[in-house]
Amino acid sequence: MTLLLAPLPEKGIGLPHDASLHGWRIDALINETSVYVGLLFVIMVAWVVLACLRHGPRHEARFDHGTSTRSIAVGLCIAGAIFFVVDGPLFVNSLILARDVFGNFAKVEADPKSVRIEITAHQWAWVARYAGPDGKFNTPDDIVTFNDVVVPEGTPILFQLVSTDVIHSFNIPNMRAKIDAVPGMVNRVWFEAKETGEFDIACAQHCGLNHYKMKATLTVLPRPDWEKWAAEASANSARDYDPDDREAHWGWDWSEHARI
Amino acid sequence: MQVIPSEERAAHEELQPIHHEPKSFFFKYLWSLDHKMIGRQFLWAGLGFLLVGGLLAMMIRWQWAFPGKPVPVLGSIFLRSQGGAIGPATYMTIFTMHGLIMIFFAITPVLIGAFGNFLLPLQIGARDMAFPWLNALSFWTFALSLVFVILSLFGELGAAGAGWTTYPPLSTNVGTPGSGQTWMVAAVFVTGVSTIMGGINYVTTVIRHRAPGMTWMRLPLATWGLWLTAILNVLFVPVLGSAALLLLLDRLFGTQFFIAGATASVSGGGDPILFQHLFWIFGHPEVYILILPAWGIVSDLLSFFSRKPANWYRGTVYAMIAVCVLSAMVYGHHMFLTGFTPLLGQSFMLLTLIISVPAELLFLNWLRTVWQGSIRLTTPMLFSLGMLFVFGMGGLTGLYLGATATDIYLHDTMFVVGHFHLTMAAASFVASLAAIYFWFPKMFGRRMNETLGKVHFWITLVCLVTVFSGQLLAGYSGQSRRLYDPYQYTFLKHLLGVNRVASYAAFLLLFAQFIFIYNFIRSLIAGEKAESNPWQVSTLEWFTASPPPYHNYDRIPTVLRGPHEFADPEVRRRLGRDFIGQAEELPEAMPPAVASAG
Amino acid sequence: MIGAEAMSVIRYRPRGAREQATAWIGMVIFLGSWAMMFAALFFSYGMLRARLPVWPPPGTPPLPRLLPGINTLIIGLSSVAMQRGLSAARRAQAAAVLPAIAAGFLLGLAFLSLQFVLWTGLWRAGLRPEGGAYPSVFYGLTAIHAIHVAVGLGGLGWLLTRAFFHAFGPARNLGLRLWTGYWHFVGAVWLLMYLTVFLI
Repeated sequence: MTLLLAPLPEKGIGLPHDASLHGWRIDALINETSVYVGLLFVIMVAWVVLACLRHGPRHEARFDHGTSTRSIAVGLCIAGAIFFVVDGPLFVNSLILARDVFGNFAKVEADPKSVRIEITAHQWAWVARYAGPDGKFNTPDDIVTFNDVVVPEGTPILFQLVSTDVIHSFNIPNMRAKIDAVPGMVNRVWFEAKETGEFDIACAQHCGLNHYKMKATLTVLPRPDWEKWAAEASANSARDYDPDDREAHWGWDWSEHARI
Repeated sequence: MQVIPSEERAAHEELQPIHHEPKSFFFKYLWSLDHKMIGRQFLWAGLGFLLVGGLLAMMIRWQWAFPGKPVPVLGSIFLRSQGGAIGPATYMTIFTMHGLIMIFFAITPVLIGAFGNFLLPLQIGARDMAFPWLNALSFWTFALSLVFVILSLFGELGAAGAGWTTYPPLSTNVGTPGSGQTWMVAAVFVTGVSTIMGGINYVTTVIRHRAPGMTWMRLPLATWGLWLTAILNVLFVPVLGSAALLLLLDRLFGTQFFIAGATASVSGGGDPILFQHLFWIFGHPEVYILILPAWGIVSDLLSFFSRKPANWYRGTVYAMIAVCVLSAMVYGHHMFLTGFTPLLGQSFMLLTLIISVPAELLFLNWLRTVWQGSIRLTTPMLFSLGMLFVFGMGGLTGLYLGATATDIYLHDTMFVVGHFHLTMAAASFVASLAAIYFWFPKMFGRRMNETLGKVHFWITLVCLVTVFSGQLLAGYSGQSRRLYDPYQYTFLKHLLGVNRVASYAAFLLLFAQFIFIYNFIRSLIAGEKAESNPWQVSTLEWFTASPPPYHNYDRIPTVLRGPHEFADPEVRRRLGRDFIGQAEELPEAMPPAVASAG
Repeated sequence: MIGAEAMSVIRYRPRGAREQATAWIGMVIFLGSWAMMFAALFFSYGMLRARLPVWPPPGTPPLPRLLPGINTLIIGLSSVAMQRGLSAARRAQAAAVLPAIAAGFLLGLAFLSLQFVLWTGLWRAGLRPEGGAYPSVFYGLTAIHAIHVAVGLGGLGWLLTRAFFHAFGPARNLGLRLWTGYWHFVGAVWLLMYLTVFLI
């Protein structure tokens, strides 16, 4: 019902701005479903209101147990119809989207342009690591950022995430991306930004006292600008590299968890 | 007409001899063996904690409407050390306790403990539960769990604060050290034991103590709902028990069932996701546990107040059973984003969407029950129709959450919160109110005031819909759950308006309940005395005194028909009314001469 | 008789066949509940084991097979003893009931003692709960089972006391029947635990 108040961007109510390449698919599925859902709800309410008005105390009740074959068949057919018409598209589209888009890591891994980022979630911050020019993680040229994820537009961005303490959830609403960060597991998510700008990264799983401000910023830059940033950041990293700082070398071998 | 052999009737009497009513204060009130008294004990406890849970909710709503401002009244009593305002640590405790209290210490004791206890023996024509001592024990075990809840509030390192879902590692010593969280986990374990005790009793009683002629397909739907709930309780609360036990072992004895990654032992830690599996194998059936009594009660009340048989009784029963069977198979939809294999995601999605079919069938039966009826909009009927409204809204929003693609965006947002508040909180709350208004005359021998009841209904319904629509809207706009201060985020800054409106509706909802409390107390003391069958309906409990005597029925009734025999023209001809009791004899047809003269 | 007066304080109410059946149904449901609890524990064990590449993890002191194997035999015999006691009661062989229950009780006590020996032995060998999933599963599952054995022993002890003061007979054996059912359940859970935790 409330979903038919489709975006009221002036008021800021409704789905947040979608800056991703594929997010619109989720939005479309939500809105499509909302049409059916809204219709069903309106019919139900109208039915009840009509019944109260037309079949009130002065109306004589019909002695009907609803057990005739026809009655039962009608009921089952309606239930079945609703299932296939409303649930059906949800199911089929989810399968397709999982296989071809949001869960299609194979395609993104194979793309030479894609950018890989390792994320460690802590109580209460997001730390990101880029492989740097050598393409390998945990080497001196890695870029490590704190609550600051910088990515190029028009490129698939692949994430592998871990948590060092409790369960967190990596959530970028403007990219329609979300995945839990679980200690003891490496999870993955990917998206491609179609616009530049600054967007919020939030934690979507209660993780303790400062869960509410476990905020990071996603900065999307045009590709050339991003390359410049990456080169500079990588050079700085390499210069400041300290081989003895064990704790800083938290990166892991990407391919071990790429699950191709 | 079925003929019940007299030996069978005698056997029923032998199985349920009339016990003497206790005289001492101890056995009358403290260790009562009477299901009606135990039901009342659960009712008082449940309603009391419902108020506590409600006040906690008000504090959450206050924080979102007026972030950081001192809370009126409650702030000056409970939050003195923080200047009356809610801080992040307190906030965690508030939403944790709100969830735990509402589920385990409010809805469960009211719908299952109180109405289950009160109604089951009466509706099946029995004198008491199968195991009266176990029944008393189940209440006092529940009371013990309440002690643990209170103890948990005084832990040095703070009270429980890991959310009602208590996910590890946050709920282990890694995330939430201290005795507060431990006591709370123990409280949940103990209340689970109480629930299992009750479940064993309810299941056995309906199997063994049904009156002669009370076949399975003649049971009131409220009985079916309560009985199926008891079966789910007996099967799945133990799984919660094991999760709680393992968590307690982690917290108290250093085991590592749920600790993994950097904080675990080098030789291989446990798995936090294991807890989620165990929790949701319980947790999803739990939501059906909480709603089945409501479904059953509303199914009956819609028929009673439409003066028409419930549409396709068997269909409703089969739908409820189907939901029970499927309930544990869909649990993975709570875990779509944990990173488990896509195959699991697809399977759980399919099953979750399938479970919507029996629910649709229930709705169709309800809608067709009222159609072509003779609807009386009494307070219980209004609340029953209200249940259709909120559960319909809530159930439909579940579709988005059951599909993996749409769940990516909506998972862990206020949309989920709106969904479960509509289906679980609003629907059960509204059904509980319907039940209270309906059975008040039977329980207490007096009538509640109808006008006050109707006013209470309309304000409550409008407020409930407003608050929870506000949650849906906030979630749709991206607000995550359990945020102390959502307005930190650029994409949520503008939601203050939406949250404020929802909060005002919540405050109004709270005040409206005082109409109910006033009505309830006043009617208890000075309400109009009720006859045995003030609503003119057919189930067995309405054919004994209001309130029933200690032994319920002077003579165990012999059941002759189902519970929804309304609008039968034969009955109208021979008895002159539109209903006939389940155990009532239908007199022989009058000779034509007399009939036409009268 | 010695206990006649004592027994008059604990009221006894003769139970007809129907009421016995009701109690038995309640017992079955109770055992179903407890079976679900243990099923969840075995599920947990399975899930934790499946996640680790090597089980037991390298460096862990191995679990013995002989001692728990003997314990399996002991608790099995204990069940046999209780069942014989029950049959004796049903066949009105009053004299055979007390020794059977006593044997069941003592064997149960032996089981717990040997579990204690098992735990202390492994503890001294360095197996500690903080050591990770493997020791957690071992200590956790066996401890939870042992608590249930202890409760069962409490029940058997109570039955023993009753048997001492009056005879169990064909018309008077409901308590014996229910506790024997519980005891078999506890034994069956142990068998499963032995097979899955110690043997596989």
